[in-house]
Amino acid sequence: MGEPFDFHYLLDYLVKLVPTLQMTLLIVACSIVIGLGIGLVVALPQLYKIPVLRRLSQVYLSFFRGTPILIQLFLFYYGLPEILKLVYVDVSKVPALYFVILTYALHSGAYLSEMIRAAVGAVDRGQVEAAYAVGMTGFQAFTRIVLPQATAISLPVFSNLVIANLKDTSLAFSLGIMELTGKSQTLAVMSRHFVETYISLAIIYFVISYGLEKLFHLVERKLLRHERQIVSDEKPSRYRKWKQRRFALSPGFGRGGQENEA
Amino acid sequence: MIKLTQIRKSFGRNEVLKGIDLTVEKGEVVAILGPSGSGKTTLLRCINYLEKPNEGRIVIDDFSVQCRRPDKKAIHTLRQKTAMVFQQYNLFKHKTALENVMEGLFVVKKISKDEARIRSIELLEKVGLGNKLDSYPSELSGGQQQRVGIARALALNPEVILFDEPTSALDPELVGEVLAVIRKIAKEGITMIIVTHEMGFAQDVASHVVFMDEGVIVEQGKPNELFTSPKEERTKQFLKRITPEAAYSI
Repeated sequence: MGEPFDFHYLLDYLVKLVPTLQMTLLIVACSIVIGLGIGLVVALPQLYKIPVLRRLSQVYLSFFRGTPILIQLFLFYYGLPEILKLVYVDVSKVPALYFVILTYALHSGAYLSEMIRAAVGAVDRGQVEAAYAVGMTGFQAFTRIVLPQATAISLPVFSNLVIANLKDTSLAFSLGIMELTGKSQTLAVMSRHFVETYISLAIIYFVISYGLEKLFHLVERKLLRHERQIVSDEKPSRYRKWKQRRFALSPGFGRGGQENEA
Repeated sequence: MIKLTQIRKSFGRNEVLKGIDLTVEKGEVVAILGPSGSGKTTLLRCINYLEKPNEGRIVIDDFSVQCRRPDKKAIHTLRQKTAMVFQQYNLFKHKTALENVMEGLFVVKKISKDEARIRSIELLEKVGLGNKLDSYPSELSGGQQQRVGIARALALNPEVILFDEPTSALDPELVGEVLAVIRKIAKEGITMIIVTHEMGFAQDVASHVVFMDEGVIVEQGKPNELFTSPKEERTKQFLKRITPEAAYSI
């Protein structure tokens, strides 16, 4: 098998992998932004119960949710050029990255549309009626009343989807994209320090995911400030709790200590 | 003046309103009474098109809507001339009390934000919530929320305010404060149509009482006449069931 474990490689690879993070984040950002657009377009026929389009969006949903993303990548990368050839469009010179972003956007779009549908449905109908009664148009009611609340409701799900998307990008290297995982494969094969490479890879994925999670939690707290009972403002941090317990136990700091001295 | 002619509304095969004619003079306070399922809430919701009537005609002053084929603009105008206070308050949950009242002023009426703020504060003070301007609905009691709802309706300066059972969702101890506010604005001469189960309140505040049952207006008149000497048998039965003496005698 590989070489014996060497801690230096771990740090070294961490530094070498970080530049490829750019590619990974590019794929995530593009596919989530495009996916949101697709998700909204797909969710609308379901929300407004438009007859034919509704069926079509259901077919789209069940395809992208029912097949593995790896298969979807292959299908788009190898299949789409063949189909386009029939209508005399040559895409053989288009870089693989575009296919990857397209696939991830369509894949995320399916999940995002379900998220949008659920969130919009969760804003109670009475508020929309109140908006109409105040004299707002349908568009004003949607953008001013429904959308801000739906955004806040959907944030936990959105956070999950972005993190899932981030981790899914590790499959893009199967089409030769040099993102985090792709780069780590090369490094590992060249040096035969497999464990070190994958540990540093895991650390990077973890740090990014954790950072995103915290970031989304912060935004959620800000958006849900009108719901005191769901996101509480004064949650003592774990460190503060731990410190309090320590001070309470140790003699000389807490009240107990003074009593001992007296 | 508001004039409804031959308003009809069905949900599927169930005909809820069977041709309602009702005239409300300017400054009048009309109370609509009736057993549940009699169509009173549906009638109220038809007046500002939250429910689409199948047939009939709605006239407010010199503006009229033919209900069978209304265009979007007519509905929009109709809604600007009316305001509604809901049973479940329906405040915008992500906005403070002040923002709830301001919303209609600067989004719909296009009044500048500063002016809207001054007007909204005035109105919230009028309903006794001058100290709750920056509270979110989740931080207010039911009675306070409903008073914000009333301020929001008043802000639009409508021709008529429609009250849909404004106290039905409230704890008994909170009913009084809301009724007091409605009583106060009734004295200012704003036209109001109130669907309510508070008989004492209706008798006291209304200048005209309408009794509905099974989608038709059974009887209407001055509150004193209707409550003390109803002509129709159905009205008599309803009032007998609902008055406290009869309800509590064993």
